[in-house]
Amino acid sequence: MNKTKLILGVILFGSLWGFSETILGTYLHNTSLPTGSIMTGVFAVGLMTISRVLYKQRGMQFGMGLVAGALRLFNPCGTCFICSAIAIMAEGLIFELIWYKLSLDLTELKKTTMSVSMGIIAAYGCFVGGYIVTQILTPLSQSAGFHIENLIVFIPQILARGLPAALIGGILVPVALMLKKVDIASVKDKVYYPLTATVSAACWIIVILNAIFILKVI
Amino acid sequence: MLMGKEKIIPIIAIIFLLTGISSSIYVYATTPSVSSYNTGDKSITVNNQQFTIEQIFSDAQLRDIVTPDGINFSGVALDDLIMKTKIDCPLCHEYKIVAADSYEKTVTWENMQNGVLTEDGTAAFSDLAKAFRVKYVIKIEVV
Repeated sequence: MNKTKLILGVILFGSLWGFSETILGTYLHNTSLPTGSIMTGVFAVGLMTISRVLYKQRGMQFGMGLVAGALRLFNPCGTCFICSAIAIMAEGLIFELIWYKLSLDLTELKKTTMSVSMGIIAAYGCFVGGYIVTQILTPLSQSAGFHIENLIVFIPQILARGLPAALIGGILVPVALMLKKVDIASVKDKVYYPLTATVSAACWIIVILNAIFILKVI
Repeated sequence: MLMGKEKIIPIIAIIFLLTGISSSIYVYATTPSVSSYNTGDKSITVNNQQFTIEQIFSDAQLRDIVTPDGINFSGVALDDLIMKTKIDCPLCHEYKIVAADSYEKTVTWENMQNGVLTEDGTAAFSDLAKAFRVKYVIKIEVV
C-alpha cells in the first residue's frame, strides 16, 4: 500500500478515536452507562479492528493510539489529561501486541468462534491494561504518590468492570470483520485524500473548539 | 501453527470471560451495596475511633474547596478531623481513605490540609486529581 495513504489512514482513524474519547466520552460520563467499557469496546477496539481489516498493516493501530492520545492532549480538561492520553496510547500498544501473531489477511478469524474470541481478548485486554496504566500514572503525577496497595485492592473491580467491554468486543469484532472484502487501495485518490483529510481536520477542530469553550466556562 | 491458534485463542477468551464473571461475583459478594450507604445513620472510623456524621459535623472545622476540575465541595476539614483523634505528629503519617466499595486512596498530610469530607460521605481534595475523590467513605486509617 501507498505510504501516504497509510499515514492518512492512521491519522483518520486515530482522529476518530481521539474525537470519540474526548467529545463522546465526556458526555457519556454524565450518564449511568459503563462509559469506560463502551469507549474501549466500541470506539477503541471497534476502530482499531476496522483499520486492521481495511489496511492489513501491523503497527497502524499503535500509530492510531499515538494520534488519538495526542488529540486528547489538545483537550486539557480533567485533572490528568496526560494520564488519559498515555492510557489511550497504551490501549493502541496492547491491541497491537494481541493481534501481532495473526496473519495480515486474518484468515485465522474466518470462523465465528475465532472472531468472537479475538474480540473478547482485545477488548478485555485493552480495557484492563489501559485502566491499570491510568491507576498507576495518575497518582504518580500527583503529590500523594502511587501506593501499590491502593491498586491491588481495586484489581477485582477493574477485572469486573472489563466484562461489558469484553462482551461488546465479542460482538463488534465479528461485525467489523465483515469489511474484509473492502479494498481500501482501490478507492480513488481524488476521493480518498480529500475525504480523509477533511474528516481528520474536522475531528481536531471540533476537539480544540470544545476545549476552548470549556476552558472559557471554567 | 494455525491449529495452535484455533485452540489457544478461544481458551484465552474463555479465561478472560471467566475472570470477568468471577471478579463480578466476588465484587458483588464482598462489597456492601453503595446504594444502601446512608450518611444519616452512618458512622465513619477515623484512626480507629468511630464517629457519626453528625458528630463529625458538629465538632470539626468546616472548609470549602474547589477541585482542579472546577467542582466546589463543602465539608469538614480532613486535617482537623484527624487532629480530633489526638494523633501525634500528623506530618509523620500518611492517611488511607477507604470507601464502602473497597476503593481506597492513600494521601499525605499536606493533601489532608487541602481536603474535605462532605455530608454525603465524599472525600475530595483541592490539590489532587479526580481519581483521589473517594465516595462512600467508611474509614480513614493512619498509616
